[in-house]
Amino acid sequence: MDQQLTPYTTEAERTAGVRIEPGKRYGFFTDTTVCIGCKACEVACKEWNQLPAEDMSLTGMSYDNTGALSATTWRHVAFIEQVRPAQDHERDDGVPDRWLMMSDVCKHCANAPCLDACPTGAIFRTEFDTVVVQQDICNGCGYCVPACPFGVVAIDDCDGKAHKCTLCYDRLKGGLEPACAKVCPTDSIRFGELSELDAVARERVEELKAQGVEEAYLYGTPDAPGATGGLGRLNAFFLLVDRPEVYNLPSAPTRPSQRIGAALGAGLVAFAGLAAAAVTLLAGTRNGGGR
Amino acid sequence: MKAVTVRTRSPAAGGPSLPARHGRYRGETYYDRPALKAAHWDWTVSSYIFLTGLAGAAQAIAAIGQALDRDRYRGVLRNARFLSSIGSAVGAGLLIADLKTPKRFYNMLRILRPTSPMSFGSYIFGAFGGLSWLSALGELRSGRGRLARLVRRSADVAQVGAGLTGAGASTYTAALMASTSTPFWAAAPRWLGLQFATSAVASAAATLSLAERWGGRTDNSRRLDRLAALATAAHLVASLGARRQRHDKGLDEVSESPQGRRLELGDLVIGGAVPLAAYALHRLTRERAPALSVVGSLAVIAGGFLLRHGTMNAGHASARKPRAYFRFAQPENLPRDRSVIRLGPPR
Repeated sequence: MDQQLTPYTTEAERTAGVRIEPGKRYGFFTDTTVCIGCKACEVACKEWNQLPAEDMSLTGMSYDNTGALSATTWRHVAFIEQVRPAQDHERDDGVPDRWLMMSDVCKHCANAPCLDACPTGAIFRTEFDTVVVQQDICNGCGYCVPACPFGVVAIDDCDGKAHKCTLCYDRLKGGLEPACAKVCPTDSIRFGELSELDAVARERVEELKAQGVEEAYLYGTPDAPGATGGLGRLNAFFLLVDRPEVYNLPSAPTRPSQRIGAALGAGLVAFAGLAAAAVTLLAGTRNGGGR
Repeated sequence: MKAVTVRTRSPAAGGPSLPARHGRYRGETYYDRPALKAAHWDWTVSSYIFLTGLAGAAQAIAAIGQALDRDRYRGVLRNARFLSSIGSAVGAGLLIADLKTPKRFYNMLRILRPTSPMSFGSYIFGAFGGLSWLSALGELRSGRGRLARLVRRSADVAQVGAGLTGAGASTYTAALMASTSTPFWAAAPRWLGLQFATSAVASAAATLSLAERWGGRTDNSRRLDRLAALATAAHLVASLGARRQRHDKGLDEVSESPQGRRLELGDLVIGGAVPLAAYALHRLTRERAPALSVVGSLAVIAGGFLLRHGTMNAGHASARKPRAYFRFAQPENLPRDRSVIRLGPPR
């Protein structure tokens, strides 16, 4: 890209130390060990993207009253309160002894199942290697919704279109880092170029292990849990310290379009077999030759 | 921008693993909240799948009949042509009604995407519908004029095309369901393809058999009953295979749910055991009670719809059960060789 277009320092360079250029691959590294559950990311996302509030009631299960990602909620902070079997009886008072918090988001998969599924071309891959739904093309067929292995994309019944995180496509075009990453007070959400984020994330895992947090691992980097079954990698990836399912993530998701061949092939073979049988059964002289 | 190639290496045995201390999956969830979102599809989609299966297979059977003995299967040909042309029009209506932004239905033909059965399926279905209408024109145009002969001849050619695209139209819907993350659909892609194909042929043969019996062509009806019985038997095998594979992939929770039970009742009993018993009894009683053939055919048709509708609803239920999905999405269930089918645009 022509460097002369932006001779000045863009905002993302100052806030995230990242120069945003078309043709490079960007994503999020969400380090859940430093998330404090403030939900500033949820609010910043709603504000920037002008997403309406949803059900205002309390879930009653934890401090998570957002519940899940939806058509109008593109960041969701999960609160996991863990009461472990007490090592000593003094601690056995039902008070959570560990809180895990994770800001969930669209994973912007390298081989995105929603993009694979989209029959209209509304979902496309941007010049920043992110995955975005074009609202002026989507016809609300809803096929991307069951395609997503992470339950991210959703249809909004108000406008009849599919919606999800755009990784602030409009901000990236303007040289701004995504709203959630910019607002995150602990840098739990880090925006950047994938190669740099990968290095930062690996370093962080080593650091945690050196501190004795043996259970730390990355979810969504190439050949790690979450980037399985043909998904390649997740451009928004996570550092977790418990099983993925605890955070509502699958251990080994798959790219659904890899199953097309098996289903279609088996169906056509069976159809052809029955057609061959039909030739035999329907052949014969008038009155069936006594068969 | 330059294309980025994402390679997926062959996984180590069982795929990537978590740090050892996390152990095996023991049923953890996030407050039992769903980890997936279910498709919004309702009866319009299951009816469409049933209808295209029926119409597609009917045109294939009719094409075979046309090739074997055109005079003998005149009735079959006529019924299949009208059934499929009207059926494809109704099917298109159902598909458009299912969209959340129906006025943009034409965007379905904006691109062709081989990784999306809904995309390439739209073209298959479109071709099938067009060829079916062309074939139906041959029934409307009688007379001896040159134009009449031309129409009839092109209808016969279209019939072959309608039979071939009919095979695609009645089976691509299995790929459409299997290539989602909905566990109940994704767990048994091959068996689902077999189920949809066999059910389509069975219900088409049963429908055409009813019409032949109605038209007094008992011998044709008898032959079509045999085809329906054979397809139903094959279907029963496919359904049991699907059930077993879903069990192996950890989906018992879905199979034992009300939606799973309803599917089994509709598919295995109404669409399987009842018609097979009726056809067998019809044959054993030397066809003295035509009602048995009619009952068998009606059960096959009803079972064909209940298979599609039940499979759809069991899929929705499975998407809402986090444990079912998490058990399915374990490394041991990953396809062994991910390089076998590499679909998609060159990246």
